Amino acid sequence: MQSIPLIQSETKLSDIVIAEPTVVNVLNRFGIDLGVGDLTVGRACHKLGIDNELFVVILNTYLHESYFPERIGPSFKATTIVNYLEQTNNSYERFQIPTIERHFQFLISKSDPGNNNLGLMLQFFMEMKQQLLDRIGHDRAKWFPQVLEAERTASGLPESPLRQQGTDTDTVEDKLDDLISMIVIHLKGDHDRYLTLAVLFALANLKKDIMQNNRIRNRLLRPMFQALSHR
Amino acid sequence: MSQPQIVIILHNTLSALGVSHLISDHFGLACHCAASIDEVLSLPADGIDLVVTDPQHYVEHLRYFLPRKSRVLVVADRATNDSQDIILLDSHADTEQIIDRLRQLLGNHEQENTSSLLSQRETDVLRLVASGMINKEIADRLHISINTVLTHRKNITAKLGIKSVSGLSFYAMMNGIIAPR
Repeated sequence: MQSIPLIQSETKLSDIVIAEPTVVNVLNRFGIDLGVGDLTVGRACHKLGIDNELFVVILNTYLHESYFPERIGPSFKATTIVNYLEQTNNSYERFQIPTIERHFQFLISKSDPGNNNLGLMLQFFMEMKQQLLDRIGHDRAKWFPQVLEAERTASGLPESPLRQQGTDTDTVEDKLDDLISMIVIHLKGDHDRYLTLAVLFALANLKKDIMQNNRIRNRLLRPMFQALSHR
Repeated sequence: MSQPQIVIILHNTLSALGVSHLISDHFGLACHCAASIDEVLSLPADGIDLVVTDPQHYVEHLRYFLPRKSRVLVVADRATNDSQDIILLDSHADTEQIIDRLRQLLGNHEQENTSSLLSQRETDVLRLVASGMINKEIADRLHISINTVLTHRKNITAKLGIKSVSGLSFYAMMNGIIAPR
């Protein structure tokens, strides 16, 4: 697969999307729809009132696993990242998770009723879903408000963990990996091939999106929050 | 790979239906509940992979069952050990033990089953992990060191591609290693 060059202010949005279509997730969450014409990153930022340097950093963090932002610019707003991550969480909650659930239900309804494997996989997915929804709930109720408050007052606030504390040490990411392995390696019995692929692709997309956004959480928002908390 | 042909001939209809249901539910395999022993005797012997019967039928038709005893499961009351190479299933055992017994037998007919990737010891460890035990409890139960438990767990994850405890539990349920929740 062709590697994507680092994004600059002059890079055309269309070039980025054609090279890596999943970046549409990020653009949509910033209010940019397909039909981008010859809009560049810089012009899109100007149009939407987003900090150009921060948007470039977000895109590069999302797209490049080995990318670490060199610095947190003085113009960077934690609010921008929190708003983006809130949109991301909304997308998981309202679109991506329900879509996978629907695909799964449909797959089970079209498969051999004597095959209990798919039903158990759906149960496992529902467990993972609940964990992800708990994490989203924690973001909304605790972490994001703390970040916004820290930015507003720039006061010292206790650092909040990135993940909700609990007794369950398996992460959402681990469980998504495991569910994908179950389908790819261990699937048995009669099943609808195309519906199975629909479930698999939707799970793989969700996993990739979560991993990419974890980088934005861990490499951008968390250091910003730490810096704000120690001002 | 074709599914194993399983025939059930038990005097107790409810037991026959129960075994059939367990096999279908946990292994996704269809069973044929024969109406009479004559029906079983008339079936081509080579076409049957497993016959589930009771001691009465077994004794009355030794000439039929003895030559194929490795493919016959005898459901008996309070059976503790296989005797004289007869494979027994204790009808009073708990669900997990019955499923485990069936898995041992059906596993012989499912060489491509991924659970055969695991050694017996790894399967034992997986069963205990899936039951919610921590490493120390597993080590104590199996009389092995914690390091050995860790090695088994590492191998299980490498072989199955599953690393979360929850994922391993669901895998164990899918393969009849533990009973579904």
